[in-house]
Amino acid sequence: MRTRDINKETIIREKAIEMIVDHGFEGLSMHKLAKAAGVSVATIYIYFKDREDLIQQLYAEEMQKMVEATLRDFDPESHFDEGLKVQWLNRMNYCFENPYSMFFTEQVKHSPLVDRSNIDTRFLNAMHRFVHRAIERNEIIPLPVEIYWSIAFAPLYQLVKFHIAKSSMPGRPPFNLDESKINLALSLVIKALKP
Amino acid sequence: MKTNATNEEFVLVFRTNIHRKKDVKSLTPLLNGCSEIIKWNIDLADCDNVLRIEATHPNHEPVIHLVKKAGYNCEELTD
Repeated sequence: MRTRDINKETIIREKAIEMIVDHGFEGLSMHKLAKAAGVSVATIYIYFKDREDLIQQLYAEEMQKMVEATLRDFDPESHFDEGLKVQWLNRMNYCFENPYSMFFTEQVKHSPLVDRSNIDTRFLNAMHRFVHRAIERNEIIPLPVEIYWSIAFAPLYQLVKFHIAKSSMPGRPPFNLDESKINLALSLVIKALKP
Repeated sequence: MKTNATNEEFVLVFRTNIHRKKDVKSLTPLLNGCSEIIKWNIDLADCDNVLRIEATHPNHEPVIHLVKKAGYNCEELTD
């Protein structure tokens, strides 16, 4: 019988995320993970039932961290332009500080392993309220949510990826997403959503 | 969910040769019928075919005995 050790658990989680991002789901086995984390296979099974349970627990925790970061200083009642800026900066900072987490959640998000009902309702409610208040106040046009998201956030994540990869188009110098570039992109996005 | 009266549970981990769904099926009544086992699962994707048990006691021997009696290898997966 082994007791839970929070440090070991943290290392196991970090290494598992790295392995999935670097080598895909198939690249992760309990044995490889044990080796990478410097723990025994038996120890990993104390915390996780099997690989699927491990991936689901990782996803739940990473989403939780992302939700906390995204909602920091965010007021769903705020004017759309201000609220979106807070969202962009929160999301950008989170991705810069946790690049592995960003790639991992993106990889898992669309896999059958994830049940949408597990997504934090505080986050969904806040984003829903924010957008619908903005539509009511005629700050943005009503759109199907997929189109809204693709315009409001996809440009941000693309720029974040350019920044993290330190490259963009072939032959271009390293891309650095600084405040002036963020503001430029954000102003174009807001313009696109205006009535 | 903890279902035992003492509110304490122990995770026991074993290496086995249980590697087919059919074997898991045949073991199911045996393991489900054991009142000291709260939850169990076998990781068929793993090369050690790890049997993981949440039990009301910390002893490996009774489980090893049970699984061996059913005709499978079973040993404690140690550190």
